[in-house]
Amino acid sequence: MEIEDYNHKVFSYLLVGVGGQGVIRAIQILSWAALREGFKVRTAETHGMAQRGGSVASYLRFCKDVEGPLIPRGKADIILAFETSEAVRSFTYAGPNTFFFINNKLIVPPMIHQMRREYPKNDEIRKFLKNVSQYIYFINAEELAENVGNSRTMNVVMLGVLMGAEKIPIKKQTLEEAILQFVPKNAQDINKNAFQIGIDNGKSIMRELHE
Amino acid sequence: MNNPFFIENRPGKKGILLGNEAIARGILEAGVIIGAGYPGTPSSEILTTLADMQRYYTHLKLEWSVNEKVGFEVAYGGSMSNVRSVACMKHVGVNVASDAFMTACYAGARGGMVLVSADDPNCYSSQNEQDNRFFGPHALVPVFEPSTPQEAKDLIKYAFDFSELYQTLVLFRTTTRLNHGRGDVVLGEIKKINREYGFDWDRSRWVCLPSHSRVLRIRLLERMEDISDFADEFPFNSLKIAKERINGIRYGLVAAGVPYAHLMDALNYFGIKDEVSILKLGMVYPVPRKLISKFFNSVDEVLVIEELEPFLEDILKKIAYEEGLSGEFKIHGKDYFPQNGELPAELYLENIAKWIGLSYEKVSIPHDLMIIPPRLPILCPGCSHRATFYAIKQVEKKMKTKFVNSSDIGCYTLAVYKPLEGLDTEVCMGGSIGLANGISKIQSKDNPVLAILGDSTFFHSGIPALINAVYNENNILIIILDNRSTSMTGFQDNPGTGVKITKEPGIRVILEDLVKGCGVPGENIWVEDSNNLTKLIEKLEEAINAKGVRVFISRHTCSLVETKQFKAQKIQPPLVKINQDKCVGCLICVNKFGCPALIFDEEHKKANIDQTFCRGCKVCIDVCPQEAIYEERD
Repeated sequence: MEIEDYNHKVFSYLLVGVGGQGVIRAIQILSWAALREGFKVRTAETHGMAQRGGSVASYLRFCKDVEGPLIPRGKADIILAFETSEAVRSFTYAGPNTFFFINNKLIVPPMIHQMRREYPKNDEIRKFLKNVSQYIYFINAEELAENVGNSRTMNVVMLGVLMGAEKIPIKKQTLEEAILQFVPKNAQDINKNAFQIGIDNGKSIMRELHE
Repeated sequence: MNNPFFIENRPGKKGILLGNEAIARGILEAGVIIGAGYPGTPSSEILTTLADMQRYYTHLKLEWSVNEKVGFEVAYGGSMSNVRSVACMKHVGVNVASDAFMTACYAGARGGMVLVSADDPNCYSSQNEQDNRFFGPHALVPVFEPSTPQEAKDLIKYAFDFSELYQTLVLFRTTTRLNHGRGDVVLGEIKKINREYGFDWDRSRWVCLPSHSRVLRIRLLERMEDISDFADEFPFNSLKIAKERINGIRYGLVAAGVPYAHLMDALNYFGIKDEVSILKLGMVYPVPRKLISKFFNSVDEVLVIEELEPFLEDILKKIAYEEGLSGEFKIHGKDYFPQNGELPAELYLENIAKWIGLSYEKVSIPHDLMIIPPRLPILCPGCSHRATFYAIKQVEKKMKTKFVNSSDIGCYTLAVYKPLEGLDTEVCMGGSIGLANGISKIQSKDNPVLAILGDSTFFHSGIPALINAVYNENNILIIILDNRSTSMTGFQDNPGTGVKITKEPGIRVILEDLVKGCGVPGENIWVEDSNNLTKLIEKLEEAINAKGVRVFISRHTCSLVETKQFKAQKIQPPLVKINQDKCVGCLICVNKFGCPALIFDEEHKKANIDQTFCRGCKVCIDVCPQEAIYEERD
C-alpha cells in the first residue's frame, strides 16, 4: 500500500455481511494483526442480533494515533462485503477511491416473500455498484472456500484477497499467524489454503487493474 | 484456539480486548469478589467474561441473578460484607435496580461497589435510549464514563479504590460502541486484597428507616461535596488550554466517553488539536468546578459534544450563570448535535467545521439510489416461538375474533413482524402480564386478553404480576414461551435451566410448580410441546375458552441451543422434505408460517426446504394443508 503520510493515515475498513458469515471473527483477526504491526486499533461491531440473520456492519480503524471506532461516511479505504446487497447498503461509507471487495453471493432475506417486496437481483446490484466507485471487485469467495474444503472459510479467503491486493499495511506472515490464532487446531491447514487462494485472487485483481 | 488474552496474569502485556472484556479485566484487576446482574445487550459479556475467568481465578463469586434489582442487591450485600462487588446491567435494567440503588446511595459502600450501566444510544437492541448519567444528580452518586477499552479497564479498576475512599457507590456508565468495540489494552496487575471480610452489624447505617435516613442523607450530601471538590484532581479528567487561536477566537470543546474519542479523531483530521482547548471528563458527575472555571476564562466560545440529552451542556450553562458570565458567552451543544440517536463520525467533522469555519465537504448521496428492503432480524429457523404464535393465530381465526396479545422483551418480540404479527404491546420486562391485568378490566369478553412472555422474562418480573392477576381475579391467559434459555442476549441460563453462570449445576425451578404456588388452580395450567402444532392449537383453544387466570406453558428448547446439543451428542436432526408432486404452491408455509428454511421456487411455483437452514423441528409438516411436507426416514 502506498501511503503519503504513514504516521497520520487512519486505515479504515468496513466489513459488512449477514449474521453468521464470520464478520466479527474477521475483524478480530485483523485487529490482532494490526496490533502486532504496532498500530493503535479500534473496532465497533454488531453483536446480539447477529445470529438472527440481520445485517451486520463492523468498523475497523487503525493508525499510529486513532481514538474512535466509527468511520465517517465517505472515508472508508476498503469495504469488504461478504454479501452483495450488504455492499450496497454500506456504500455511503465509500468515496471515489474506496476499494470494494465483494463475495459474489446474494442472500435474499426470507422476509421479502412475506413482505411481498422485490429484492434486487445480483446483476442489478453489480451494475449499481460500478457507479459508486470504479474499484469494484467481485470474488467467488464462497466457492473458493468450498474448493479448499469448507465454505465457512469464506471470511479467510476474503482476508487473503485484501492481502494479495496489497490493500492492508500488514505483513503476510503476521496476518496468517493472526488467522491461525483464531481457528480451531484441526482446521489450520484448510484456513492456510483459504488464505493462500484469497491472496492469489487478490494478486490477479491488482494485475488486471495495472494492465 | 489459544486461551483468551484477558485471563493472562502478565501485567504490561498488550492485546486486543472487546470493551466488555476490558471492563471484566478491570474488575478482576481491582480484586473484586462478587459479580452479579442480569443479561442485557450491550452489557452481557462483562459477566460472561468474568465467568470464563472464574476457572482460573476461583475467588470470584458470580451469578446471573433473577433480575437487575436482585443482582444489584447481591452485589450490595457483598459491599456490606466488605468485599469489592460489581453489578452489571443494561440501561433499562438500572430502572429495575433503582429502588435498591437510590437508597443504597444513602448508606454508601463499605467494600468497593460499582454499578455498570450499559446505555444504548440509537436503541440498537433496546426499547428506549434513556441517558443514565441523570442517575448522578438523581441518586447523588458519582458517574464515571470511559472513552476507550483501555480507559474502561483502568477507570473501573480505579472506581473500586475511589468507592472505598469516599464510601460511595460509583455508577459506571458506558455506551454500545464502547461495550461492543475492540481496542488495544495493556494489562495491569491483578490486585490481591488482604482484609477481613464479613458483615458489619451497623444498624444505624444499613437499616434505612426514617430516623436513620435523615442522618444518612446529610452524610450523603457532605460526601458529594467532598467528591465535587476532588473532581478537579480526578485523574481521568483533563483540561488542555490552547495557546493558539483560530481566526482570533479561542475555541473550547467539552466531551466524555465515546464522543471524546471521535472528537479527538476529528481534531486530528483538521490538524487543530493544539489550537483548541479541550475539557475531557472521565467523571461526568459531579463536574470539576475549578477546571471549568479556568476553562471558561481561557476560551471565547464552547461546544459540548455529547450523545442523547444535554446533560453536560445544562450543567455548564448553570455554572456559567453562577460565574456571572454574560449571555454573550456562548455554550453550544444541542444546537449543533441531535438529541436522539448515536452521533455518526462524519457529524463531528461537519459540525466542527461549521462551528469554527473550516472547509469540509459533506458526503453527497447520489440521486439514483438503489433501494434495498431492510434485512430485519427474524425468528430463527426452527424457533419454537414461531409455532406458538402460529397456533395463537389459528385459534384466533377459528374463533372469528381478535385477541389482545400483550407481550414482552425477548427474541419473541420479533414476532411483531410479518407474517406472524403476533403481538400488540411491548414496554418493559414482565410488562406483558401487568398490562394484561389492566387491559382485561376494560376489554369485552369477545376479545380474550393474552400475556405472552419468555421463561427468563417471567422469572425476572412476571411473577408479581401473575400473583396480582390471581388476587384481583383479572381474567387473563398467560402464555410462557419456555425455551429454556435467555436467547436474545446470548443463551444465558436462568432458574428454569437450573445451570449456574459458571456452568455448574444449580437447583432448577419448575415453572408449573411455581405457577401453582402463585395460586393458579391445577385445571388452569397447561404444559405442551411448542413443536407439536396440532395438539398445541387444540389445547390453546381450550385454554383461551376457559375462565379465570390461566397459564399455558409452551415448552421447547431454543432451536439454536438444541442444534448445539444435537451436534454435541452426534444426533442427526430429522430430515424434512417437500413432496413436489403434492405441493400446490399455495404459499401457506412460506407466507403465513414464514420459517426462513422454507423457500419458494419461482420457476416451478412450488415450496422447497433449504436444508442448510432447516433444523428439523417438523412443525411445517403440520402447517401444510396438502400434507406435502414429510420427514424422510432411512
